[in-house]
Amino acid sequence: MAEKPSVAIGQVMENRSVAPGHFLLTIQLPLSFATPIPGQFVMIRDPERGEPLLPRPISVYDFQREEGHAILNLLCRVVGRGTSLFSRLNRGSTLTVLGPLGRGFTIDPDVRQVLLVAGGVGAAPLAFLLQEGSLLKPDSGKRKVTAYLGAGTSELLTGLDRFQGFCDLRAATDDGSCGYCGPVTELLAIDLGGYDAKSTLILACGPAAMIRSLDLLLRDTRIRCQVSLEERMACGVGACQGCVVAIKEGEGRIGYRMVCKDGPVFDIGEILWNPSVDG
Amino acid sequence: MEIEADKKTVVPGRLAVDICGLVLKNPVMTASGTFGYGEEYAPFCDLNRLGAIVVKGLSLEPRQGNPPPRIMETCCGMLNAVGLQNVGVRAFIAEKLPFLRQFNVKVIANIFGETIDEYRRVTEILTRAAGVHAIEVNISCPNVKKGGVAFGAYPDAAAAVTEMVRGETDLPVIVKLTPNVTDITEIARAVESAGADAVSLINTLTGMSVDIERRRPHLANVTGGLSGPAVKPVALRMVWQVVRSVKIPVIGIGGIMTADDALEFLITGASAVQIGTANFIHPAATMEIIDGIEDYMIRHRIGCMKDLIGSLQTDGC
Repeated sequence: MAEKPSVAIGQVMENRSVAPGHFLLTIQLPLSFATPIPGQFVMIRDPERGEPLLPRPISVYDFQREEGHAILNLLCRVVGRGTSLFSRLNRGSTLTVLGPLGRGFTIDPDVRQVLLVAGGVGAAPLAFLLQEGSLLKPDSGKRKVTAYLGAGTSELLTGLDRFQGFCDLRAATDDGSCGYCGPVTELLAIDLGGYDAKSTLILACGPAAMIRSLDLLLRDTRIRCQVSLEERMACGVGACQGCVVAIKEGEGRIGYRMVCKDGPVFDIGEILWNPSVDG
Repeated sequence: MEIEADKKTVVPGRLAVDICGLVLKNPVMTASGTFGYGEEYAPFCDLNRLGAIVVKGLSLEPRQGNPPPRIMETCCGMLNAVGLQNVGVRAFIAEKLPFLRQFNVKVIANIFGETIDEYRRVTEILTRAAGVHAIEVNISCPNVKKGGVAFGAYPDAAAAVTEMVRGETDLPVIVKLTPNVTDITEIARAVESAGADAVSLINTLTGMSVDIERRRPHLANVTGGLSGPAVKPVALRMVWQVVRSVKIPVIGIGGIMTADDALEFLITGASAVQIGTANFIHPAATMEIIDGIEDYMIRHRIGCMKDLIGSLQTDGC
């Protein structure tokens, strides 16, 4: 059961560049901040600035409780003005942190093989899932975890250290500088036949193109797959209805679900890709 | 310290306002479409403290809204083209209203129709529901093809919708006006004559934003409604115009982020205010605005809202 979200004032403990255009924010929060479920996100904002106006949604990369406070780690990529400003925050800066928000990953007890498929910074929520422990808790039996991590170059395989030694690891880079040369979904396609469709669960997060390739790849299989989506958001709590994704509602009807509240994790089969909108 | 000492002498109900018979414990409401059905913000706000909750616009049948992308941040504001996605009036009564009834807060149902008859039927259903204290008629949504601003931009059409709703309910009727017109006072006067108990303004200003890399609009709907601090001066000017043109109460809306912003509207003559985009940025914005208004009243030794509302001095201007 997800705990109640709150708005907390966080303090930046460390802000470290981890790869070109990627940074790791370590934020100290009060202990009252609820423990996030893997796949959940927070909305962060610099309270000292009136602009940009809206908070930005960022997936939880790590969360720990320590003596007297909690530590939240966010692995971010600079994509626009908001994240660019976050990348330059100094130690000691304050941030408002709203969360934890959304619906995280759910793992059915019958799952024996988990495949974590990440593209770039999409590794963040999957790393949290792996580190948080519920994936491999004692009553999960002989569950195997294999991570497929993809990125442009080896340098951009952010969060790799959170997977190395914790599960089987398969890497793919566009330039071949680490692992398979090509998209991570191609690497997965090569291996896919070796997994038992009934007991395998894929959990994925990455760019839209990766999720769509994954959708095509899995279309003729019966492998379960949950994907974590991202979308521009204003409120993060289901009020503004700005972050919707199109969903198949049966009988050819389309419905819209909110990424912030109904997601960000969805079953891949539910999602309706609209080429005219998604480009 | 002085404020603390003074607080003890605060008259209970110092912040109370009476809008066409609807008594609110303070003048701070949430704007439709920015606070869901109340539930979404219950973890962050004490809903009992709000003057009123104006719920997300309701139509007769559920509406799925516009395709994404629906929102885009702009300079000191945001564009939205949600297209009135909502659960429909019946699901609202069955699934959302019971939650709101647990709180000691006035609930204002914002309604929307594609035809005048649809406005009538939604009103009829809501009037029978327990726990709805007023109706806000949305004749000003810029993001739908039928209805919405098609009624709000023309005095005759605006009056016709108002008259239909007025005839269907004994609840107070508030008509929400669009700023996307040549003369907002003309529309305000038309709905006043048709029986509106109050007007609320402004709804969003129609705007647009372009992705230059893809040479496409940022919003799938191409245009959207601009809200946030960027629109506040425009909203304030329109409230100023309308309070001088009608006798019914005016509810001020548009880019209110802080208590100071709310006070500008109240001093200008708004009898109450609605908080919209600020909720997205700061989920407890309404609570801080209520506290800030109260602190101001104490600091300026103003005993009741009546003495504050419309107290703008313009001599020598």
